[in-house]
Order: sequence, then C-alpha cells, then structure tokens
Amino acid sequence: MSAYRANAGYWFVAPAIILMIVILIVPVGIAAFLSFTDYALGNQGFEWIGLKNYENIVTRSSYNKMIWASVTYVLVVVPVSIGLGLGAALLINSVKRFGDVYKTIYFLPVMAALLAMAIVWEFSLHPSLGMVNKTLTSLCGSWVEGFFSWAWLPWADPANSWYAHGCKNGFPLWFGDKNYTMGTVAFIGIWQAFGFNMVLYLAGLTSVPRELYQAADMDGADTAWDRFRLVTWPMLGPTTVFVVTITTIRSFQVFDTVEAITDGGPSKSTYVMMYAIYEKGVQQNLMGVGSAITIAFLAFVLILTMGQRYLVERRVHYS
Amino acid sequence: MKRILSMTAAAAMLATPALAVDIEVGYPYSHLFDVTYEKIMKDFKKAHPDINVKFRATYEDYEDGTNTILRESVSGNLPDITMQGLNRQAILVEKGIARSLEPFIAKEADFAKDGYHKAMLSLSTFDNKVYGLPFSVSLPVGYYNMDLIRKSGSDKLPTSWDEVVELCGKMRANGVKNPMFWGWNITGNWFVQALLWSQDTPIIKDGQANFDGKEGLVAFETMKKLFRGCNMKNLSWKDALASFSAGEIGMMFWSTSALGAIERAKGDFELKTKEFPGITGAPKGLPAGGNAALLVSASKDPKRLEAAWTFLKFITSGVGAAAVAETTGYMPPNKAANEIILADFYKRNPNKETAVRQLPLLRDWLAYPGDKGLAVTQVLYDGIEGIVVGDKDDMKALQEELTEEVTELLPRR
Amino acid sequence: MKHAVLILGALIVILPFYVMTSYSLKSPREIETNTGGFFGAQEPMVNEYCVKLGNPREACVETPFIFNYTQAFKKAPLLRYLLNGVIVTASIFFIQVLIALPCAYALSKLRFRGREFVFSMVLFCLLIPVHAIALPLYVMLGKAGLTNTYAALIIPWTISVFGIFLMRQFFMTVPDDLIDAARMDGMTEFGIIWKVMLPTAIPALLAFAIFSVVAHWNDYFWPRIVITGDRDLYTPPLGMREFKGDADGSIWGPMMATATIIVTPLIVAFLLAQKRFIEGITLTGMK
Repeated sequence: MSAYRANAGYWFVAPAIILMIVILIVPVGIAAFLSFTDYALGNQGFEWIGLKNYENIVTRSSYNKMIWASVTYVLVVVPVSIGLGLGAALLINSVKRFGDVYKTIYFLPVMAALLAMAIVWEFSLHPSLGMVNKTLTSLCGSWVEGFFSWAWLPWADPANSWYAHGCKNGFPLWFGDKNYTMGTVAFIGIWQAFGFNMVLYLAGLTSVPRELYQAADMDGADTAWDRFRLVTWPMLGPTTVFVVTITTIRSFQVFDTVEAITDGGPSKSTYVMMYAIYEKGVQQNLMGVGSAITIAFLAFVLILTMGQRYLVERRVHYS
Repeated sequence: MKRILSMTAAAAMLATPALAVDIEVGYPYSHLFDVTYEKIMKDFKKAHPDINVKFRATYEDYEDGTNTILRESVSGNLPDITMQGLNRQAILVEKGIARSLEPFIAKEADFAKDGYHKAMLSLSTFDNKVYGLPFSVSLPVGYYNMDLIRKSGSDKLPTSWDEVVELCGKMRANGVKNPMFWGWNITGNWFVQALLWSQDTPIIKDGQANFDGKEGLVAFETMKKLFRGCNMKNLSWKDALASFSAGEIGMMFWSTSALGAIERAKGDFELKTKEFPGITGAPKGLPAGGNAALLVSASKDPKRLEAAWTFLKFITSGVGAAAVAETTGYMPPNKAANEIILADFYKRNPNKETAVRQLPLLRDWLAYPGDKGLAVTQVLYDGIEGIVVGDKDDMKALQEELTEEVTELLPRR
Repeated sequence: MKHAVLILGALIVILPFYVMTSYSLKSPREIETNTGGFFGAQEPMVNEYCVKLGNPREACVETPFIFNYTQAFKKAPLLRYLLNGVIVTASIFFIQVLIALPCAYALSKLRFRGREFVFSMVLFCLLIPVHAIALPLYVMLGKAGLTNTYAALIIPWTISVFGIFLMRQFFMTVPDDLIDAARMDGMTEFGIIWKVMLPTAIPALLAFAIFSVVAHWNDYFWPRIVITGDRDLYTPPLGMREFKGDADGSIWGPMMATATIIVTPLIVAFLLAQKRFIEGITLTGMK
C-alpha cells in the first residue's frame, strides 16, 4: 500500500522538480559559472578571473552599504508589515459590517501597478509641491503644530522639535536626504506588503475551528486577549510560518521602489542587494560581477532562512 | 527598332511596382519622438513608397536602448536601424554590433551638400570611420524665471558661474528660498563633461581619465562653489524640473531638450533661455546630447541595406531633420536644415534658438571605453553627489580619489 | 472604536490611489504644479501632439479628462494589452495549479524517500529572485527562438514555488481521517487531490489565485526584457511606458489614466473573489 503511495508521490512531484531545475536552478548554475568570469553582455568571449569578483564584494565600500541597506530594510519591514497584517485581519474579522470594503481598500496597494504607484509616491513626497509636505506646511502655526511639537508637555522644547524645525526651514527631502530615504522606502514597502499579509492571515483565520473558542470560553478565557493567546495565535502557527518566511524573503528581494525612485541613493543609502545585482548585471552589462553578487545574495539569504526555519518550525502546531 | 524595344522595356519596368523592402527601426522616448516619426513618415512614404518601415517597441531611455540592442544581439533578432544616445554609440561600435557607414557615404555624390558638415559627423565617428548619423541634438542651456530674477534687483542674466553665485546671493536676500538648480545628476556625467569642454578638455583622452589635471580641479571647485554658494538642494532632476515649472526655482541649468515640456507645464512666469555660462568668459566647447541613427542590421541582403541607408539619410537631412526641431526641444545638427528650412521657425521660438547659437561649440559626449564604462559613470556620479550633500569638501582629495577609482575600472593600456 | 482605527488606516492606504485617479483627470499644468482639487478645473487644454502634427491650435483643444482617457486608448492599443493580460495571467495560473497541487499534496500527505529534500528544494527556489536569473533565462529562450512570444511570457512562471509552499501548509491542516476515508472508498491518490483536497482548500487556493494573477498582471520587468520587437504582445503595465519620457517630461495625465484603467479589472476580480471566498468557507463547513 505504501509503495503505491510512494510511487504516486514521485509522479506528483516530478513535473515540479523538472520545471524547478530547468527554469530556476539551471540559470542559477549559469550565474554561478559566470561569477568567476569577467563576461559582459554583448562580448564575444570572456576570461576566467577566479574569485576576483567576490574579493571586490568584500573589500569595496559600496558593497558594505549594500548589505547594510538590505538588512535595515528587512529588519524594519518584516515585523511591522506582519504585525499590521495580523492586526488588520483580526480587526476585519471581528467587525460585522463593511468588512469587505476594508478588505478591498487594504488590499489595493498590492493590486496596483508598481510603476504608477512609484510615480504617485514620488509626486506626493515632492519636497515642496507634494501633498504630504504641503499639508504639513499648511498646518504650521495651527494647533496641529502645537500638538506635534510636544508644546503641551511641560518639559518639552517645542521650538527645537522636528515639526517646528520643518516649519521654519522646510520639511525634509524625503528622497533626497540620506537620513530619511531608507525610512521612506521602508514605509512604501510596508504600505505594499501588509495587505498581502492581511489576506494570508484572513485565509488562515478561516481554518481556526469555532469549537476551540467555545472550549476556551468554558475553560475561563473571557478576554479577547486570552482568546487570542490561547486559541488564535497557536492555530495560526502554520500561517505565521508561511507569512514570516515569505515576507522576509520578499523583503530581501525588494527592488521595484528602489529602481523607480531612488536608484540606490542618495549616497547609496538604499542600495539594496537586488538593486546592486540589477545595476551591475543589467544596467552596466557586467554579468560577471552581477552574477557574483547574486550568488553571495543567495548564500546570505539561505543561511538566514535556514536559521529562521529551524527556530520557528519547532514551535508550530499542525493539527 | 532597337530604340523602340529598349524604350518599351524601360516603360514596362517603370510600370511594374518595385518589390517592397521591409526594414525595422527602434527608437527611444516614445511620447517625445512618436510625433516626430509620424510627421517624417508622411513625407517618407511619398518619396519612397517601396520601403516599408516597421517600428519596434520603443526604448524607455538611452540606457534601455543600448541594453535592448545588446540583448537582441545575443538572442539574434536585431533591428535594421536603432537610435542610440550619442554616448552609447561607442559600446556598440566596440562590440562590433554597429556597422560602418563609410561604404555608403563613399557612394554619395556630394554628402556635405545635404548639410552633413564635419563637426556633425564627428559626433558619430570612431577610429576615423563614420558609424552613425546624428538625428537629434541638445546642448546645455540656462533656463531663467524672469519674475524671480527681477527680485534680485536687475534683470541682467549671468554669463559666468561667478555671476550665477552672485545672483543666487541677491535672490536669497530677497526671499527666494531655492534660487538655483544645476543638472549634475543628468545622465552620462554630461554636466561634468560640460565644465571640462568649457575649458576645451575632454574627460577621457587616449582611453585614460583626463580630469586629474588643472582643468579637472577647476571643474570640481566650480561645482563646489555653485552648490555651496547657492545652497542647492539635493533634488532629483524630476523634482527639480517640477519645482522650476511651478515657479519655485529662479535659475535652472539643464539640457535644452526639456524646453518643450517646461513651456507646456509652466506656471505664470516669464521664461527665458540663455547660453550656458562659462568659467572665465564663454565656454570653449560643450558636449552634445541627443541620439544618432546607427545601422545594426544583421542582414546580408543588399536591397535591405540600401533601403536602410535611404531611411537614414532621409531622417537626418532636409524636411526629415526639420521635423525634429518642430516637434521636440532637440535640434537637428544638420546645417542646411537649420539655416534654410528652420530659419523662420527659430525666429518665432527664440527660446529654442539659444541652443542653435551654441552649435559651433558642439563636442563629443564621451563614453568611457571598456566593459566597465557604465560603472565609471556611476563612480563619478557618486563623487559629485558627495559634493552636493556636503560629504566631500576637499576637492583635491576628491579628484585624486576619483581618478584612482576610475583608472582601475578602465582597461589597462 | 475599531472602525475608527480601520478608517484611519484606510485613509493612509488610499492616498496614492486618490492621487492617481485625480491626476488621470487633470491637465499637464495642474499636475506639474499640483493644483485643482480632486477633479481638476477641467479648463480646455491644448493637445500639443496634434499641434505638432501641423494642425492649427484651435482645432486641437480638448477637455483634460477626455484627453487623458482617449490618449490612453489611442496611443497604445490598451484593449489589446488588457486582453494579453488576461490570456497570460489565466494561462499562468492554470498551469501553476496543475503542477503545484499534486506536488503540495505529495509533500504534505504522502511518505516517500527524498520528501524532505524536495521540500528543501522548494524553499531554496523561493529565495531565487527573478532579476538574478532573468538574463540567463532570456538567453536560453533566445536560443530556443522563443523570445517575443506568449510562451516567453508564460513558461518561466509555470513553476510557482510560492504556490507549492502555500498549498502544502494548508494541506497539512486537513485531517488525515478525511483522506483515509476516501482511500477506503477506493479513490486513487490522483483523485484525492482534485476531489478531496481541492474543495477543502478553496480559501487558500483563492489566496494563491489572487497573488498569482496580481503579480503577473502587474509584472513590468520580465515582459520588458523579453518582448522587444512586437508591441502587440505587451502586457498592461507596458502600456504606461508609452507615456514615460524621463528628462523631457512624461505625459502624466494619460499615464495615470492608463494606471487607473489597468487596476480596475483587478479590483473587480477581487470583489468577485471575495464573494466566492465567503461561499467557499460556508461550503466546506466550519471546521
């Protein structure tokens, strides 16, 4: 009996495996090979240069910035977008009316074409003409400024607050000031991602059996927090594994916002790994270098993901 | 008898329609040039009904154009003609993808008569052979918001960078928050090349970095003076153009190619353009921006190549070339077109004439040789950005640092 | 209280869409200078393109929002692109399900040697970003003569490791008894996939569908690399490219109109899927 099932198993995974190899793994193999050469697109041939590309990655400062940018982005976007996604899913699940409306609105960022959204964000965040700064400026001198510059706290110094400073000297160049750019890009990343996580959590919430809540009630769990802690969160285990893995991976793969708006700048503050690969491999046609960054990227992310899985998978329930 | 026969034969030949030849063309900046090609094609079809021109998917920008051709050369489906940025021709010539036009030019009776003067052709000449015909050309100019300029007390426009800084100071004193934007972040290090050509110095000489000398230092110091003296903000050029159109920036130094867009979108202020300021006195040369037509056909069919050449000639001379100025902010570098066909047009559009007056200063928009050419562009970009945001203050040190990095990336001699 | 929070969130989320739709109604000047409220003043504007072709200015005056939307359809064959979008995303999803579901089932419910290895392979492939493999893949397709075809748009996406992972997680929550019962009724393993597993996993399948369709409908990078000769094969986001102009100014109005148009089918599809979503839950019963 189990031999029959094992056979079925092989047949079922075979097409997937073949496609994985041809479409995904072979190109990676080619990239790995090219990473040891100096191939540039359009050349007739190439030279073997060994580990030189990798050496450059470790020594050149722009690559340090690359790792820093990628790590910062992931550390900000993953927890926040998962938290917001979960929160939104729970809230929407618990309201009786308009659930559909909220769901659609929160999912809109995921559905919009990125090119258009990038342009819109660029406009909205224009230092002097964009809606965000214009609104902030128009509120200067009103009670809103007082509120945000902490004037209502007795020990605060409102004239030195961020908001007051902005009113006097102009609000930040959201994409031009290297202190703000990464934050702005991360904000856009969260804006896009949390709707995605929300939908996943909504799907997961549907598989939590009602009876468990009733059982918990009878055991004395009466607050919403108790219900969440004892029933919802554990039952969302598999979903959470999925969400965390996917969000982390996708955050490492962030690219579109950077390509459309910041080009890795200013001063390479948003020079994330995927953008570096694109810049070197596609824009500058240096396929050898681009491939080396790709392999380094894969190795880096692989180690992180394996570590994460090990830690998380141990604590998860499957029914 | 013989005469009648040959005349009949000739008549018969003229009566049968010649077999149509197909050629494929790729060009960038769809919304800019679609209208240009539409206009040109009307005349082209009348003059050459036997040539069918198929336009391919347009390139997003010059870099995309080059990358697409590189990809297509690897996968084997190149078009016949491609319009490439002037500084992107070198890569295609180096890799043997662009074909020399000398054989075709040799067959022409009087090429120069059609307005192809030497300065124009030199933009597409590599190793003493002509590989392309420049189609649309732009030069750096100064855009001035006269309303804001008058706030400084006079309406005299600057002719040197020192005067620009002075004007900045006066405008700031009179309440203009953002007096100037300088296009350091335009593609291909164009403005750095402008500062060097202003001193008659190319940025690359004999394949080596040429900004490590006195002229290079002057260029860096000028930039630092401008950025600091005018308190220039680190805006992306898209944001800067929007700001200028909205009337927030007093002076903007950018390519003449944006003139059309700005005139269309600007608020209620008087716009004037004037020649690009010089360092001490007028500039001695300025890099040409824009694109040229290259022949990249992989076809061996002589009829096809002939048809391609006919198209190439048509769009870069006569009425074809004039369409460029009439429909975009670029100019045709063709002398005959500018002086004869467009004379009236420029009188009616004086802002567009500024760039034309600078035509005698036309110099190459140089590309860095070797595979890492584009990486070099990025290195210089990053360096200048450092000056803009205030990270770099010692220009001599910056000059040395950049020379070292760039030399490492260029092919060894 | 809950509604207050949700509404605040909704406002932040919806800001870019407000801007996008608003710009699709405005004239170039209003866009560049950011004036005009939501609908724009709708003062007649001059269609520069028409003027450049040689027509007199008076004949070229139009109202902004009409101009924007008609340009969106005229400049590029947008309807054709939308059709391409439908063909490509539907084909991709269909093939993805065919390949992913059996694989997910095998990985979650069947025991065979090498099962963990295959799953690790799936996870590894998840890490591989498309930009990294785009060029080698392009060259491979080029040598096979498949560039500039529907095949090039579809084939690379037929393997969805995301889908396999998602469905496997979901299948693991299906009780084994359900499957054993089906086996005792004589069903083949293959039959079990489509008749037992699939119905229980409708919500997850819908989530998979949503992600797949949205991702491929909006994909800009890959089609741009692979379709270079023939505009007829463009997918919707490439339609916006017609209006992109970089240094010399893009034409924002029609571009935003295009963006609004191409996001609309997705919103409609999502709303419809919502209904099935709820039906799907009630059909499978409260587990």
